Amino acid sequence: MNIIEIKNLSKVYDAKTIPVYALNGVDLSFKQGEFTCIVGPSGSGKTTMLNLLGGLDSPSSGEIRIANTDITSLKSRQLIDFRLRNIGFVFQSFNLIPVLTAKENVEFIMQLQGVKKDQRDKRTLELMQSVGLGEKINARPAKLSGGQQQRVAVARALASKPRFILADEPTANLDSKSAENLLEIMEKLNREENITFIFSTHDSRVVAKARRVVTLEDGRIVSDISKN
Amino acid sequence: MGDIRLAWRNIWRNKRRTLLTAASIFLAVFLALMVRSLQMGLFDNLIQVAIESHTGHIQIHKKGYWDDKTIDNTMLYNDSMETAVNSRKNIVVTVPRLEYFALASTGMQTKGVMIIGTDPLKENALTHLKSKMLSGLYLDQSGNGVILAQGLAGFLGLHTGDTLILIGQGFHGVSAAGKFPVRGILHLPSPVLDNQVVYMNLGSAQDFFGAENRITSLSISLKDPDKIDLTLNELKSAVNLEKFEVMPWDELMVEVMQQLKVKTASGMIIISILYMIVGFGIFGTVVMMTNERIKEFGVIVSVGMQKSRLAAILVLEMVFIGLTGALSGVAGALPIMAWYHFNPIHLWGSMAQTYIAYGIEPLLPLALKPGFIISNVAAVLVIVLFTCIFPVRRVLRLKVAEALHK
Repeated sequence: MNIIEIKNLSKVYDAKTIPVYALNGVDLSFKQGEFTCIVGPSGSGKTTMLNLLGGLDSPSSGEIRIANTDITSLKSRQLIDFRLRNIGFVFQSFNLIPVLTAKENVEFIMQLQGVKKDQRDKRTLELMQSVGLGEKINARPAKLSGGQQQRVAVARALASKPRFILADEPTANLDSKSAENLLEIMEKLNREENITFIFSTHDSRVVAKARRVVTLEDGRIVSDISKN
Repeated sequence: MGDIRLAWRNIWRNKRRTLLTAASIFLAVFLALMVRSLQMGLFDNLIQVAIESHTGHIQIHKKGYWDDKTIDNTMLYNDSMETAVNSRKNIVVTVPRLEYFALASTGMQTKGVMIIGTDPLKENALTHLKSKMLSGLYLDQSGNGVILAQGLAGFLGLHTGDTLILIGQGFHGVSAAGKFPVRGILHLPSPVLDNQVVYMNLGSAQDFFGAENRITSLSISLKDPDKIDLTLNELKSAVNLEKFEVMPWDELMVEVMQQLKVKTASGMIIISILYMIVGFGIFGTVVMMTNERIKEFGVIVSVGMQKSRLAAILVLEMVFIGLTGALSGVAGALPIMAWYHFNPIHLWGSMAQTYIAYGIEPLLPLALKPGFIISNVAAVLVIVLFTCIFPVRRVLRLKVAEALHK
């Protein structure tokens, strides 16, 4: 069953002067438990695609349905609430809140969701252990390496029990060992807990791990390959 | 991690900037409190002296007397009126007076004088008139002797034991004339009064002006001046307001109050400029704190925090900085204010001489009133909230995708 369905999605910048099509009539769908990679050269529309999927930006035309909700029709407050309950984000430059500890960063999302403290504590510990940082829960981001910060970011993304996780070039700022380690964790979470991951990346290691690779060029899908 | 703790931690990201902003607020609040405390202490002292030297806290007159102070605008004063007024709990003493002008004469000198006929004991209870005697005896309850202010006695060349001749117009146009032995000389702080006042007991004044049982004013001294409004209302409901006027001290000293208001306003302008400067400092901090965190705001909103909640956290951050500075300012100023409130500053030099010349003890207590302390803290909070318009607008209009790529 598809959890995301995209129909005729377009995003045009500078529509009134010289229109630039970041995405041009894209049709795409994603199933529960996919480990999908969106690739393409710079300017191909990868980040725009992820922004639109995450409800961080609005399309010029088309429809995005997530679990039967057309997110393009949601108002700003509804969209933020929808993101909180359905989508996890992992950013290229980690983007943890610097004044919070690793534990508090993970807990933050659950607090926004109104999860009770004892449940938050339990899940935070589980998530931190699952990303291999059970010993670092009280460290502030500045005291963690880039790889460790990104693993906390993955734990944070998982904290809300989202339908899927969007990761925008998650390994771009990591050394090869940290990148490998992060990919293993995400792959394990995908395999064992059936969590859907959608990446945008230039990194061949990520592409190699992905079970589906969608290639974009000039805002259009030029290939969509599933590996079995 | 509640929003309050998050806001508190956020302000300490850049300790130096936060401390500098709080320090500027501290300085502004500290200076504002000290200046206002000194100014209000000075004004309160002057008002207190004015009240205790003659006016009293409240006066009752015949309706229209205050606008037209003639002997014909007097009112009957009897036991029932005294009882009705004195039955109020907050009243310490009531002083009946009959005040009017006459011509004083002695030998070749003549001068217009102000005659104050009063109850000697009650007058002393309100104004401590006896303590101002320089020579001779204070008024007695029944005799017709008078006491003269020093300046007037000097002008007329009169001493204790001499005789003063007074000529004037009495109640309803009767002729008023009489000879009065000078019982004593006293010094009045105000040079204007010192050059023209003659005190006599109330009965003598009523006889002189042909105004039997009549007075021009009933001055009232209160136990607790802070409850003046309550007592004023009680008195207004106790007397017939169609026949009498009941006036508080600030209506009796309109010119003094206007001067004090002008001085207060000038002080407030200086304090406002100070706060304005501090306000720009706070605004600078707000702008920096906002602009350098746009990407972070994008992340926070993207993971699910409502923009309004994020905006509230930013307002909280600025309120914390504002309160840290303002409460430190209060904490710094309060002990000094309290010390000099209970241990007034001893004035020296020419200023002390001026005070002494006016019969005022050369002491300057600082005012210690919660009202202006709270209003200064509130002023800081208002400035802070005003500067928060910028980050709040910025967050509410945040475009998340753009913010993430800052």
